[in-house]
Amino acid sequence: MTDTTDFEAKRDIAEIAVERYKQGRLTRRGFVAAMGALGVLPALGSKAHAQAKEIIVVNWGGAAKDVLQEVLCDTYTAETGIPVIVDGSGPSAGKIRAMVESGAVVWDLCDSGAGSAIILEQQGMTQPIDYSIVDKSKVLEGTAYKNGVGNYVYSYVLATNPKMLGGNVPQTWEDVWNVKDFPGMRTFRKSVRGQLECATMAQGVPLNEVYEALGTQDGINAAIAKFRELRENIIVWGSGSDSQNLFLQEEVAIGNIWSTRAHLLKDQMDKDAFNVSFNGGVIAPGIWVVPKGNPAGTEETMKFIAHGQKPELQVKWLEMIGSGPVNPEAAELVPAELAPYNPSSPENLATQILYNDEWYAKNQIAAEELYVDALIN
Amino acid sequence: MPRINEKVSYWMLVAPALAIMVIFYIVPVLGIWKIAFTEPETGVANFVAMAGSNAVKTSFIITFRVAAITTIGCLILGYIVAYAISNFASKFTPLMVALVILPFWVSVLIRSFSWIVLLGRSGIVNDTLKGAGLIDAPLRLMHNETGVLIAMIHVMLPFAILPMLTNMRGISGAYVQAARSLGASEWTAFRQVYFPQTMPGVMSGALLVFVLSLGFFVTPALLGGGRVLMISEYITYQIQEFLNWGLGSALSVALLIATALVLLIAARFVNLRSALLERK
Amino acid sequence: MQRSAFQIFFQTGAWTVIAFLVLPLLVVLPISFTDTSYIGLPKEGLSLQHYVNYFTDPKWLGATWTSVWIGVVVATCATVLGTAFAIGCWFLSDRASSIARWVLITPILVPPVVQSLGFYRFWVVLGLIDTHVGVILAHTLLALPYVSISVFAALTNLDRNIPRAARSLGASVMQTVWAVVVPAAKPGIATGFIFAFIVSFDEIVGVLFITVRRVSTLPKMIWEGIQDNIDPTIAAVATVLVVITLVATAIGVMRKK
Repeated sequence: MTDTTDFEAKRDIAEIAVERYKQGRLTRRGFVAAMGALGVLPALGSKAHAQAKEIIVVNWGGAAKDVLQEVLCDTYTAETGIPVIVDGSGPSAGKIRAMVESGAVVWDLCDSGAGSAIILEQQGMTQPIDYSIVDKSKVLEGTAYKNGVGNYVYSYVLATNPKMLGGNVPQTWEDVWNVKDFPGMRTFRKSVRGQLECATMAQGVPLNEVYEALGTQDGINAAIAKFRELRENIIVWGSGSDSQNLFLQEEVAIGNIWSTRAHLLKDQMDKDAFNVSFNGGVIAPGIWVVPKGNPAGTEETMKFIAHGQKPELQVKWLEMIGSGPVNPEAAELVPAELAPYNPSSPENLATQILYNDEWYAKNQIAAEELYVDALIN
Repeated sequence: MPRINEKVSYWMLVAPALAIMVIFYIVPVLGIWKIAFTEPETGVANFVAMAGSNAVKTSFIITFRVAAITTIGCLILGYIVAYAISNFASKFTPLMVALVILPFWVSVLIRSFSWIVLLGRSGIVNDTLKGAGLIDAPLRLMHNETGVLIAMIHVMLPFAILPMLTNMRGISGAYVQAARSLGASEWTAFRQVYFPQTMPGVMSGALLVFVLSLGFFVTPALLGGGRVLMISEYITYQIQEFLNWGLGSALSVALLIATALVLLIAARFVNLRSALLERK
Repeated sequence: MQRSAFQIFFQTGAWTVIAFLVLPLLVVLPISFTDTSYIGLPKEGLSLQHYVNYFTDPKWLGATWTSVWIGVVVATCATVLGTAFAIGCWFLSDRASSIARWVLITPILVPPVVQSLGFYRFWVVLGLIDTHVGVILAHTLLALPYVSISVFAALTNLDRNIPRAARSLGASVMQTVWAVVVPAAKPGIATGFIFAFIVSFDEIVGVLFITVRRVSTLPKMIWEGIQDNIDPTIAAVATVLVVITLVATAIGVMRKK
């Protein structure tokens, strides 16, 4: 099985924070992961013998590191007196594995993805989540794994520019494929993640049958064929900021982009020039994992995860960088003007499907190949 | 034996640069071959995957097509410039030469950036045309092959002009004059007498532009909108997005072989020595 | 003299092509003075905000400085190594040295992405990823062909009898090289140095592969700027660089006259 964790998405969230605060930029995408894949161990300094009463949380760096520190960690320290420190060096599955196997675990809690969580669990690198401390009901259904639990969510959404479209805005993916009534360029991600789903919906497949349809080679081929059909109207985005630029520069009128980027665009563009619809969106969770033998111990770390489930903290997270609360209870606390941009509001949840990691583990590589071919050939 | 002694001291001058080049350049590039045959497992699996992939095939076709059109475009435009510079001497000639070389000193990134600014949907070209009432809807000049070709020709043009210029400057005017005095029209004299003499310059320019275009990365990546996927971009895509070093390396090997083949074929028409080694 | 249609075609054609070459370099100029926060022509007035941003942002300035000093170090290393190499080859002028010269120009022929993959993997082994030394080494390798070509070209005009005479008068090999050959190669050495600096100063693909966050060069900042958020600061940076190039070219043309 391949690791399907969307590191790009995670890094993008970090990047957004960077942009938000203009505090410099993140490392070039891809290379951190490459380092991880090469098994380059982080330098094991004095922290190898960290005090038990200190929690090291690892995410993907940038200023998302600062937001995590401020929103979750400092508040925890204020409540309990236990210092929590964020390390932004990127907890790829490869690095976590290397750390656990070398026996020198310095990380307590890692911001991972469902794909990595499943692999790490199979390899025996992570600990089960203690659901007597962490509340299973406080995460979205489908994001509570044996050895991992949801921490925030983001979505692939339908973004449009009503001004460019003359007010006539596509409401569904079927509309997006209707070039006659909705002329203009569209943007889709350079990878199939979150993209084949919408091409499947564009064929009239109902939301809850999408992955079923994609479960067969015919289903995949049909989705790919949809892209082949539309390709003259497609510009591809490689990074989250890419997608943002395409809208800002009015290169595209329609696109399938991350909700976190849409969250930025709504502030950057005129009110009548940007619109987001979660109709037919694909919602993906970030997942906490705890490496085996973590220095702070299981219980402490679980308590911290539980702390992070507090709705008010998750709402703050949404306000600051646009990643949605994984705790359904948080939706009520979201300010009205932000609610339409919240991937996990009840209204938005009702029209989305959950990103299916098992499907990606099985099919992604083959599908990517077909996808590239459909777009360029 | 002083002569051998002398040879040794000349090799001592050669050795440092050569050693560094072999150890830190040739060895790593050969390392790519090794990766292609050993990751994720030993064998030719990467090459089998590559050969069976339609996307790879298409990407190679795009690469060769873009390189070929760029080359032809550069030759035609470059020939005109080189001809004017070497045949109509005026006080502007040094300026023309300086302006041809000028883009060389400006980084490819900045030049690509300029084209992004010019060719975008709400870029300067479209805005100007719209302002002048020539078009209603913006033209699609970027994020497609058109944009890539315009920018590629811009980047590669000096590489075509300079060898042709060197060549044309060495051509004596006597032959054309003789043809003219024998009654040939200006055009006939050019076509039958002058043009054949410029072929070596044209071929060196063509070779240089074609080989450099084959491996070009920056401009297609920035202006292609992801759909003009040349091999170099495909390689980075495989490695950055999927950490697929095996396939990425296999593609690199294929690109290296393609480049070598082009050079081998070119060697029959072009004096590689003067085109590459003794280029001015 | 009446100009024929033939001549008019080539002359106007040539100037049109030169306009195509040069004018696009100048578009960055108006953009850099835009008063908007996005790429576009000035709307209500000219603004220097993007220049202010460039000249006050430590990241841009740091990257510029890094590029300059790395460029100088690279140019120096490549010039020393490449000049020695070319002179040695010029003296030898045999089959083996000719092969050596082909080996040295391979970086011109190998696609940038391919060589950068090679660098990346090898630099990981050597621990040179994301270090200045790693960048300097890579750039020196990429600059060597240009130095060796231009020095060698300068030497083709040198009469072989001169160093021979020096040797017969009792000068050692090194004395001959230093006193006779190097002065003759000077124009080529100068050209090589400038080329080497520019190669390093503009290099992007290699830097993208072998640096992560500690080393940031100007091209890398521009690349990330174009990819991440197209902000007019890039236009200000580009304008500064284009103007420097224009001035240098103008001085060059004047001096030739």
